[in-house]
Amino acid sequence: MGKRILVTDDALFMRVTLKNILTQHGYEVAGEATNGREAIEMYKSLKPDLVTMDITMPEMDGISAVREIKKIDPNARIVMVTAMGQKNLVVEAIQAGAKDFIVKPFQPERVIESVQKLLGN
Amino acid sequence: MRVEYINPFVSAAYSVLEMVLGIQPEKGQLAMRPGIFTTQQCSIVMGVTGKVEGSVIYGMSLATADKIASHMIGQPIRTFDALAASAIAELGNMITGNAAALLAEKGYTCDISPPSIIRGSNVKISTVNTPALVVPILLGEFGALEINVSLQERK
Repeated sequence: MGKRILVTDDALFMRVTLKNILTQHGYEVAGEATNGREAIEMYKSLKPDLVTMDITMPEMDGISAVREIKKIDPNARIVMVTAMGQKNLVVEAIQAGAKDFIVKPFQPERVIESVQKLLGN
Repeated sequence: MRVEYINPFVSAAYSVLEMVLGIQPEKGQLAMRPGIFTTQQCSIVMGVTGKVEGSVIYGMSLATADKIASHMIGQPIRTFDALAASAIAELGNMITGNAAALLAEKGYTCDISPPSIIRGSNVKISTVNTPALVVPILLGEFGALEINVSLQERK
């Protein structure tokens, strides 16, 4: 069975794009969250193997959501996927507990490489 | 409104458009407008807050929006639906996000707001009365994208 991934992005286009890339490589998209708060709730209910997380989102931003998810599960594997590539945000996200940081626009291979590295297959 | 504020947006637009559309963009003539507005049929409106703040609008024709959205989605779009609007909005998000990283390197740390899409011509966005710099970016077969930047340094 494919590893289960929770995709978090407020943009429908980006959720569809990530879902296509992931499913084409044998991963299952367990859920799609549209903001940080939804991601936390869905993390609790779905217990995914990995989460992709945007930063700029309404309701709750991605870095705050990473901190909350890490409180629930310190072993959570979260990859930031965002258009905001400032050094300070990369540092903040990694300190919050994110395992990788992908800046949009990205090549599909970059996403798969990151996911494979973290899920060990 | 300083010219140095628009350069990061032009650089970011070049790299994002090259990667997303697979083309070599070309820069048109820089112009200045007394306020920020767009005469384009489809506009992506974004806010910037931080050490510099204001608005950025990316304007294009409906035909250009359709072509870009079709390319990004990977199939021709029949109607400009939620997915197409989201693709166009994401283009604005990526250019502005990359520009914000370049502004941060120059010491102007800023944050961006999620994009809004406005369809309709002669839209005037009234915020503060700061002049806007406008640069058309020529996108070959896709048409053109007009970047309007109206930013000022926070006092």
